[in-house]
Amino acid sequence: MSADIQLRNVSRRYGDTLALDAVDLDVAAGQFIALVGPSGCGKTTLLRVVADLEQPGTGTVRIGGLPPAAARRQRQLGLVSQRPAVLPWKRAIDDVLFTQKATGRAGMPALGLLRDFGLAGHESKLPQQLSGGMLQRVNFASAIAHDPQVLLMDEPFSALDEMKREELGLWLGAELSIRPKTVLFVTHHVDEAVLLADRVIVFSPSPGRVLADIEVPAARPRTAAFRSAAPFVAITSRIRSLLFGPVRAAA
Amino acid sequence: MNAATEGSALAGRPAAHPPARGPWRARAAWALRLAMRIGLPVVSILGLWYLAIGFSGLPEFVIPRPEKVLSVLTHETGFVTRHLLVTLRAAALGFLLANVVGITLAVLFTSLPLFNRLLMPAAITIRNVPYVALASVLVLAIGDSLWTKVTIVSIAGFFPVLVNTMRGLRSVDPVVLDRMRILDVSPWKVFLLVRLPYSVPFILAAQEITGSGSIIVAIAAEWMISSEGLGYVINRAMAQYRGDQVYAVALLAAVLSYSVYLLVQVVGARINWHEKSRPDR
Repeated sequence: MSADIQLRNVSRRYGDTLALDAVDLDVAAGQFIALVGPSGCGKTTLLRVVADLEQPGTGTVRIGGLPPAAARRQRQLGLVSQRPAVLPWKRAIDDVLFTQKATGRAGMPALGLLRDFGLAGHESKLPQQLSGGMLQRVNFASAIAHDPQVLLMDEPFSALDEMKREELGLWLGAELSIRPKTVLFVTHHVDEAVLLADRVIVFSPSPGRVLADIEVPAARPRTAAFRSAAPFVAITSRIRSLLFGPVRAAA
Repeated sequence: MNAATEGSALAGRPAAHPPARGPWRARAAWALRLAMRIGLPVVSILGLWYLAIGFSGLPEFVIPRPEKVLSVLTHETGFVTRHLLVTLRAAALGFLLANVVGITLAVLFTSLPLFNRLLMPAAITIRNVPYVALASVLVLAIGDSLWTKVTIVSIAGFFPVLVNTMRGLRSVDPVVLDRMRILDVSPWKVFLLVRLPYSVPFILAAQEITGSGSIIVAIAAEWMISSEGLGYVINRAMAQYRGDQVYAVALLAAVLSYSVYLLVQVVGARINWHEKSRPDR
């Protein structure tokens, strides 16, 4: 299950700073969109506006035709934060069950979900007993345990090292091919964005505007081999030149 | 919360459990360590006590000999126990009331900021009024009763609970609150299932102060106003030059306060998720 997302003329201001400037964006149901840009370009703000965690100053957001608040109340949204949003006193399995009990949606058996997420044998561990990578997997499992149509992710892999990052990214791609969702994925990692997404939206520094909307012409899920494919190399260098200018991109 | 986890929360402390298996040598070493842990403080305290008697030249009723003090506890057991129970009742009720008031106010202050601005200054004032003044006023208001003492104990103890609980309720990780909003969890459930558990370690930390303090404050209150309880015993003993009784009460109070402190630690370790989830367990 997935829903389309539509943003029209969305702006957001913090005091004197314009964080988002008239952003238009159309995301088809089931699409994986990566939002890249320098820090402070408003990509996280955009995600939070879609998540109904913040209100846009102007403009409208529609998720499956509904305003964000309505989509949220229908439990159609899942959020993966940068830091794990797990409850520190809950064992992995109980944290996943918390999501299901809170939403009244237990479509997926929690135990099976954790197994699919590579957490077999770790179901009854507390957050402190899990490694960073495993904890982020629990965070993912808890975020989608109510089977939301839309998955919003704010730099979910930024706390992990390079290897874990790619491993979890590819695993996420495979996972989404089993349980398709519309995805907004905020990252400052260009390679990660191109490796995972159908489309990469490049943001300009503050105020955040859409600089480019780049399609990645390859089927998902992808493997690590895609990194050496011609389109990957071409697209990543194009994004780098958009973000850093042509000189630094060549270096 | 299974039995294994609960037990292991305490296992970090030395000499807490005898070694399960192993040669008699290990068990003997453990027994020796335990004896040293208990014995050494006793030996050192008694040593200093006798030295003080020997060198100070103070009269017997100011520094009685330790054996005389102990004989009060063994020979006047009925008398001491009766007053001890009076004190314990006041301390326990005051302690409970301190928690009820402290936690309730904390919940009120964090959920309704207006109450915080309205009542926090009053709470701070009450907390800083000398107990002597409070006791005098309360005796005039309610007389020498159990509830006078309970009120004094709770006034002395509620503030750490209030401040710590507030800190705990506010310690929730913002990303967890984002998650609750995304899942559309009601504010009441967020309070019950998230904010309250988050504040458990903070509330428990306050009990170490409030718990052991309530015994001391109850005795102080009795010393000022009451006609029964350990505080009253001190008062009466001083009038009769019974230094041994004063020391016996002091010893009893110290042991009691320390026991309460230990009890809080043991019970706390069982329900404190923060202790349980420590990586070194």
